[in-house]
Amino acid sequence: MLQKKVCMLGSFSVGKSSLVRRFVESMFDEQYHTTIGVKVDKKVVHANGEDLTLVLWDIYGEDVFQKMRLSYLRGMHGYLLVVDGTRRQTLDDALELNERVVAAIGKVPAVLALNKYDLTDQWEIEPAQEAQLAAAGWTLEHTSAKTGDAVENAFSHLAQAMLAK
Amino acid sequence: MAEQAQRRAFEAQAQEKPTDNNHAYEELRHLIVAPEQEGIASIQDRLENLEKRTEDVSVVVAEAIQMRRAKGDDLALAAALAPTIQETLRESVRRDPHVLADALFPVMGPAIRKSIAETLRGMLESFNEALEHSLSWRGIKWRIEAFRTGKPFAEIVLMHSLLYRVEQVFLIHRETGLVLNHVVAPSAPAQDADMVAGLLSAIQQFARDSFQPGKTENLGNMTFDELQIRVVSGPNAVIAAAIRGHAPEAYNLAMNETLEEIQRHYSSALARFAGDPGPFRAAESQIARLLETQYREKPPEMRRPRAAMIAGAIAAVLLLGWIGYSTYLLIEWSRFLSAMRKQPGIVVVSYTKDGRTFHIQGFRDPLSEDPKKLIAQAGLDPDHADLQLAPYYSLDDAIVARRAAALLHPPTGVTFTANDGELIPEGAASQNWIAQLEEKAPWIAGVSRVDESHLQNSNLQELNALKNTLESTALLFPLGRAELEVGQENNLTQTEKNIRELVAQAGSLHQAVSIELVGHTDITGVEAANLALSRQRADQIRAALLRNGVRSASLLPRGVGTSQPLRDEGTEEGRRLNRSVTFKITVSPLPAAGTVTGASGAAPLN
Repeated sequence: MLQKKVCMLGSFSVGKSSLVRRFVESMFDEQYHTTIGVKVDKKVVHANGEDLTLVLWDIYGEDVFQKMRLSYLRGMHGYLLVVDGTRRQTLDDALELNERVVAAIGKVPAVLALNKYDLTDQWEIEPAQEAQLAAAGWTLEHTSAKTGDAVENAFSHLAQAMLAK
Repeated sequence: MAEQAQRRAFEAQAQEKPTDNNHAYEELRHLIVAPEQEGIASIQDRLENLEKRTEDVSVVVAEAIQMRRAKGDDLALAAALAPTIQETLRESVRRDPHVLADALFPVMGPAIRKSIAETLRGMLESFNEALEHSLSWRGIKWRIEAFRTGKPFAEIVLMHSLLYRVEQVFLIHRETGLVLNHVVAPSAPAQDADMVAGLLSAIQQFARDSFQPGKTENLGNMTFDELQIRVVSGPNAVIAAAIRGHAPEAYNLAMNETLEEIQRHYSSALARFAGDPGPFRAAESQIARLLETQYREKPPEMRRPRAAMIAGAIAAVLLLGWIGYSTYLLIEWSRFLSAMRKQPGIVVVSYTKDGRTFHIQGFRDPLSEDPKKLIAQAGLDPDHADLQLAPYYSLDDAIVARRAAALLHPPTGVTFTANDGELIPEGAASQNWIAQLEEKAPWIAGVSRVDESHLQNSNLQELNALKNTLESTALLFPLGRAELEVGQENNLTQTEKNIRELVAQAGSLHQAVSIELVGHTDITGVEAANLALSRQRADQIRAALLRNGVRSASLLPRGVGTSQPLRDEGTEEGRRLNRSVTFKITVSPLPAAGTVTGASGAAPLN
């Protein structure tokens, strides 16, 4: 079976781990996150008529105290950039992070997950801005780890993009 | 060269004979084909000129090799160049070794240093292990083993400390951390290889970032209790082995060799890897070799000591068994001796043990139990006993009783016991035997008196039995008559016989017998007549007895009428029994032997 290294990127507490926890096979304890800053999980998706193993490197969210280890991104085939749609700041941070990633690794397939979409009343991202992001070439997904909406879609879109490459 | 000359000759000829037509044609031809001809001539010239050709190739050779490499087919090129390069190097060394030595100097130093460092690390590891084990319980066990097998201690330590098992081997793509191939030893626990390999890479990355930023070296070992993860890294691939136990440093060499082999075989596939592990399926046999060949069982020479141990154990069991058996025998003998001391008629004065033989000294009454039989009964071997027992007369009660029995031949039913010199016969015996007993017993050793209270005279018993039979006999008569009832003849005959027997037995026992014949009547009629009738009945029987020859007893007829009825007269049967003659017998000893004869002779005549 084809395998791809996929990283989960995004700021602290945007819900990366929640997405992973609900939708992937897990083997390791959450505490790997806090000790070495990454937790490795696995998800098998079906895309373009074939099964694909995604080895997910769920990388500890960046905050003011801890910068992300870019070395964990080496060799990745794609990534899911996760944003908390109820906190506008996390989108800006994510785009800033994305620039650093592209500078370090080069361009690889990515999907932008606007998470916590179940909290519509607190949503802070304007439709105009979303249109702007789509125009810039982003594949957008409105995900919710709580309800499970669009999470599978986010992973399979990423898988398709990686296979197409 | 020859062709060139020919062509020149041909051209010269053509110029020598110009006709008009020819000339025009030649002119035209020259105009049309001259540039091509010149070109062809120049190419031909370059082809034929070796010097020029070499010059041409020299211009493109570097680009050609580069192009070949770009196509990714550098193995064939390397193969083609290898012999030449080897030969070149050999030639270079032969001519002037310094040239190569100088060139290699910058790389040789680090290579040698690294190799020495690896070797020293391996040695230190073994040395540490030896130190660690030398003072432990295990260490002492190994010292004993070394002493027993005659091998150096170091060898024993190595033999034990090198036991290990490689449980899993991962072939991992270095850049992505994805699994290219993975093998698991039979029955070893295995987790999801994808995740394990991923995290392993992450940990490597973490360690590198945290402790050696900027370097590309990998973590070599990770140890968790008994489990060790060894990692060797190449430019594109990593081999990680999960090992339980302590693998020798040499195992890393095998890992490195395998990795190099894989790097060489799959160099282009590794460089192009985009997530498809398919091309690396064939690498399984190579990494599986790391799994299989590195098992290490206990060496076979361990079996020899095991055989020796078994033999030793058998010997120990046999020795213990022998000691146990000897102790058992000794205990049995002492038990036997104490039993023999209690045995009547045997006195053990002393005993000694000489090897397997017991010497027993003492006394024995010939009537006591046979000691050899006692030994056999105790489960011991009589041949191992040397009995020195002098005969003697025992005054033990049991032996005295046995002696009395041996001398007096008691009739069946008579037994003897003895109590402190008194002989006590028990049972029934004839008058004669009792007389013998009274006469002989005092002469028997150990008998001072005889207690006859438990001894019955069998003759007297018979006499009494006859007396009882007769006294319960009634001879019956019809109502009012003195002749026997019809059918009473047999009764009379039996009575006669009994009387005769009684008289005979009494005679032999020196007893005198007197028989009262008592006549009875029932209550019918007056008493005076009944008294007379009863007397008549008694007389009648006396006459019959006398008539039939019963003479040696005194027969005294008496009539009691109805005064001593045998039964209640209420029934006919009772009244019938009361019309009878019964017998009352008195047996008494004769006063003296002399008078007995006279009396017995006179009595029947009464």
